[in-house]
Amino acid sequence: MSESVFLAETDLAARGVPSRYPAWLDVLQSATGLFLALFMWGHMFFVASILLGKTAMWSITRLFEGYFFLGASYPRLVSGVAACVFLVFVAHALLAARKFPLSYRQYRVMRAHTRAMRHEDSTLWMWQIYTGFSLFFLASAHLYQMLVWPQNIGPYASSDRIWSDGLWPFYLLMLLAVELHGGIGLYRLCVKWGWPRLSRGLLKKLKWALTAFFLTLGILTLAAYMKIGYEHRLNYGERYHPDTLPQWLLPFAPSGEFSDPPALPPAAEGKEA
Amino acid sequence: MSRQVIFNILRYNPQLPNVTPHLQRYLLEAADGMTLFIALNEIREHQDATLQFDFVCRAGICGSCAMLINGRPRLACRTLVADLPDENTLAPLPFFELIGDLSVNTGKWMRGMSERLSVWLHAQEMEVDTRRIEERMDAETAEAVYELDRCVECGCCVAACGTARMRPDFVGAVGLGKIARFRADPRDMREDADFYELIGDDTGVFGCMSLLACHDVCPKTLPLQTQIAFLRRKMAAQTIKSAGKKTSLR
Amino acid sequence: MKTVITDVLVIGGGLAGLRAAIGVRNRGHEALVLSLVPPKRSHSSAAQGGMQASLANVIRGQGDCEDIHFEDTVRGSDWGADQIVARMFVNTAPKAVRELAAWGMPWSRITAGDREVIINGQKTTLTERQDAHGLIAQRDFGGTKKWRTCYASDGTGHAMLFTVSDQAIRRGIAVRERVEALSLIHEGGRCYGAVARDLVTGEIFSCLAKATVIATGGAGRLYRVTTNAVICEGMGHALALETGVAPLGNMEAVQFHPTGIFPAGILVTEGCRGDGGVLRDAEGRRFMPDYEPEKKELASRDVVSRRMEEHIRKGNGVASRFGEHLWLDITQLGRRHIEHNLREVKEICESFLGIDPAEKWIPVRPAQHYTMGGVRTKYTGESPWLEGLFAAGEAACWDLHGFNRLGGNSVAETVVAGMIVGEFIADFCDDPNNSIDAPLTLAKTCVRREEDSLRALLASHGQENAFRLCAEMQEIMTRCMGIFRHADGLQDGMHHLQRLLQRSRDIGISGKSWGSNSELVAAYRVRRMLKLALTIAHGAYQRTESRGAHFREDFPQRNDREWLKRTLAFWPEEEATLPTLSYESLDVTKMELPPGWRGYGAKNHIEHPETEARQFAVERIRSHAQTQGKDRFTLQEQLMPYLECLPANLRGKNERLDEPLENEE
Repeated sequence: MSESVFLAETDLAARGVPSRYPAWLDVLQSATGLFLALFMWGHMFFVASILLGKTAMWSITRLFEGYFFLGASYPRLVSGVAACVFLVFVAHALLAARKFPLSYRQYRVMRAHTRAMRHEDSTLWMWQIYTGFSLFFLASAHLYQMLVWPQNIGPYASSDRIWSDGLWPFYLLMLLAVELHGGIGLYRLCVKWGWPRLSRGLLKKLKWALTAFFLTLGILTLAAYMKIGYEHRLNYGERYHPDTLPQWLLPFAPSGEFSDPPALPPAAEGKEA
Repeated sequence: MSRQVIFNILRYNPQLPNVTPHLQRYLLEAADGMTLFIALNEIREHQDATLQFDFVCRAGICGSCAMLINGRPRLACRTLVADLPDENTLAPLPFFELIGDLSVNTGKWMRGMSERLSVWLHAQEMEVDTRRIEERMDAETAEAVYELDRCVECGCCVAACGTARMRPDFVGAVGLGKIARFRADPRDMREDADFYELIGDDTGVFGCMSLLACHDVCPKTLPLQTQIAFLRRKMAAQTIKSAGKKTSLR
Repeated sequence: MKTVITDVLVIGGGLAGLRAAIGVRNRGHEALVLSLVPPKRSHSSAAQGGMQASLANVIRGQGDCEDIHFEDTVRGSDWGADQIVARMFVNTAPKAVRELAAWGMPWSRITAGDREVIINGQKTTLTERQDAHGLIAQRDFGGTKKWRTCYASDGTGHAMLFTVSDQAIRRGIAVRERVEALSLIHEGGRCYGAVARDLVTGEIFSCLAKATVIATGGAGRLYRVTTNAVICEGMGHALALETGVAPLGNMEAVQFHPTGIFPAGILVTEGCRGDGGVLRDAEGRRFMPDYEPEKKELASRDVVSRRMEEHIRKGNGVASRFGEHLWLDITQLGRRHIEHNLREVKEICESFLGIDPAEKWIPVRPAQHYTMGGVRTKYTGESPWLEGLFAAGEAACWDLHGFNRLGGNSVAETVVAGMIVGEFIADFCDDPNNSIDAPLTLAKTCVRREEDSLRALLASHGQENAFRLCAEMQEIMTRCMGIFRHADGLQDGMHHLQRLLQRSRDIGISGKSWGSNSELVAAYRVRRMLKLALTIAHGAYQRTESRGAHFREDFPQRNDREWLKRTLAFWPEEEATLPTLSYESLDVTKMELPPGWRGYGAKNHIEHPETEARQFAVERIRSHAQTQGKDRFTLQEQLMPYLECLPANLRGKNERLDEPLENEE
């Protein structure tokens, strides 16, 4: 075995060059967190497109599948994105786990501490631990789904999953966990690195405002999917296909899919039947 | 018009281990301008001579009397009874070695921290010719250094720190604040690489989880949040700058 | 029995003790510091305003030098000071400031150009010199001709203590915290160390050393209203007094600070007045110019305190439920100044009074502040009566302050004495004659005596309560030994104190714990405090004159003819209830500055028979030197040679902007 193994094993590694790992780990934890938080907000907006209508949501889904620039839908692209996010997510979880209470004793000390202190930022950290812990499972499950069945995204497909497959409690929980965790996390990133140079009071107000906004958006969105899912429960499994697209989007669609109106392709009737 | 105030005080003397830790209740008549310094001395002189606590300057200058007042670390001498509710709990600062009741050994920990982080000025020359006019320093720099030098080592920041509570080898805001103080001092010859050796790990600046209770409880209102963030940036930059170089940081 | 053996035992971990420890450590000797509290909590940290040293950097300090600092100090002392010591001190103070600067002390600095200040209630513009930019700044303080007080905002003592303490840590100097020295181990006129008690475990052990230093600060807690920390109980003074061999000097010289916050007695710095704050009465009128037209609020502390009390007696005090007080008004200094240069004052006002000093006046009344008296030593810091026993700082009477200390001279004295005495201790330890064969039998006897005494105390079923005795003593001291003293009050107070001392032999203790036991501590300390109180009372009663802070209403004149002498108090008999006093004359014929009017305060002293001749001689030497074009150093040398008294490394001249140092080695 190499020298470094024994140096590490005997705790003598620290006596020469100071390790750079802690710095890198801290920077990476922040970087992955920042990426995930920003991704999550973007993702929220994409998902919320359902509030603008089924066609909007369908278009965005297709966009990510390459439909508008590759000439056909490739759901594997979504798998690819999901895989990347999954990797970042796992990295973030690993890095952040360093900060978790590592034993029941530590957890108890911390809980007693935050209760006695009644100090908002310390209490928020506990929430970050709770939500972070739940995201180990919730986010993993969701990402796995997206990884394996990327084709199951769409106005009807998603709604069916949420309503008919009974996953809406899962999504509700995940929504709460993600928004709280991300919001608190971003706030903490700002105070941790001292940028942007706003007062903590202002940062915290911003944080709560953003969390409130995204939670509202998220709940409305979830409600919209639930409603669609409920209305569509009898046609479970059917996929959505819009009759037409907005004028400006048509040139991007693969040729033949959407002919100029009013001509209706015969296949479309069958689909919607 | 006198007001009766209840103090539930955590009693435990490690010298008498057969008596288990418990809250003991004391009733006291509040008086005008009464601080916890006056209140606790009154309890000790008239009700219970065995009660242990620490005061020195009783003017908020020396940092001896930090304790948990209703769960939060504060300087007892600067706490007016008039500002407290009718029932209160007093407990010793956690984290530090308990001497007895409200008295903890902050001095020992602080000295250990000072030695570990070598928080004294590392000047270029050890012996100066004191007959000569002193080195110059501009007034703003001097004031900025003094600002960070105001720490009284009371231990409030460490007792309030979730990180320190979970990981007792953490140097705490007091340690990081002192490093920031010497880093800001143009007379100190150390560079970021040197400071990195002292605080560039999870017991130092990268262990801090930014819960910021330190900043919020500091009785001297030191700018701990911005100083720790500043150190974190500098230490991270130090790592990134020297990435790829295989040589020692020295 | 546990025995610790070291080279130098330092009792007290404040500025003086730590600096002395560093001094001997630098010379290769081992030092052990015993401290009641962690050193950084020492009362040194409470010094706010600053430290006097004639750097002459600011424009208002231009022309300042050792000579003026010396004169201010001697005048301030009302000619009670040892002028050799004062000379040693003023020459070392600038070096101390510069050494501290090199050690990291964040002194406030000068910015060149115009700045607005308040002088005598008026806005004035000062223009700082270009070549002073970045040098250490000075502010105005009471009783000084020049702006001489170097400072770090108003946390000077704190910053100094942390700087020096960090240097002690750097040198690995061992400190035993929460340890109290109970008595000195001595035999045949030689001190061998001390018996100490661990305040946490109660363990009693002996510390043997070649040299023992008492650096325990003052004894303010003898009084009810004091600015002093609760640890300033004079236990170092008592250590020497209880040997029966080593005397205390000038214990009746007790300083009252004009601006203690009313009624708590917490200090607000003299810097408030130095920076332009004024005192006002019930009608909001500024009254000090009526009494002291020249120095006004910035006369020496004894004078200002006395004038304030006088003004209250005339019915001009502000009535409150705790009694009467006056106002300190710093509102005209402006918020910016207060938030930058008087931060501690602001915090104290907010926390203890709930007021903003930039908006409202601060209620103040004089409070006990400083113990000029102390363990009498030679200029080397060593007790002439007990070889190997040294003292430094407030606990010592070597005697820099005489009957009144100037503001800013106390923290200065701590480090300066630490530097000077530290060198002398190192010399003492270097001398092979002074090495000791650890006197273990003696140590054992001393430890056993303390153990037996504490056991007896714990076992006793006495009727008296230590806390109550202490409170009674403090009340008597504040009432009878305060700013105005009178034979009737002093006698009455002395009788009460004697009775208290007798009662203190019958203290009972409810908690029987051998370890941490505040009642036990109060019990053995109050006996010692009572002895000190009686030393003050007896000295004050006997001294039938008024000098500096010691003011006798029945003898309002300073009487150089009878009283140009230092009180020495011995306590040879344990069972006695009064100290034995003797006196040590000051030699007018050797004084560089013969007695005269101070420049403030009363102008009615009784001359010493030799004063006139000495004055004449001084004038002659002066004019002679002037006609011959001799520089001030030569003149000084002719008036009162002292340089030989300083340790060799501290004899050099001090460089100033206007006084460059020639390249001499």
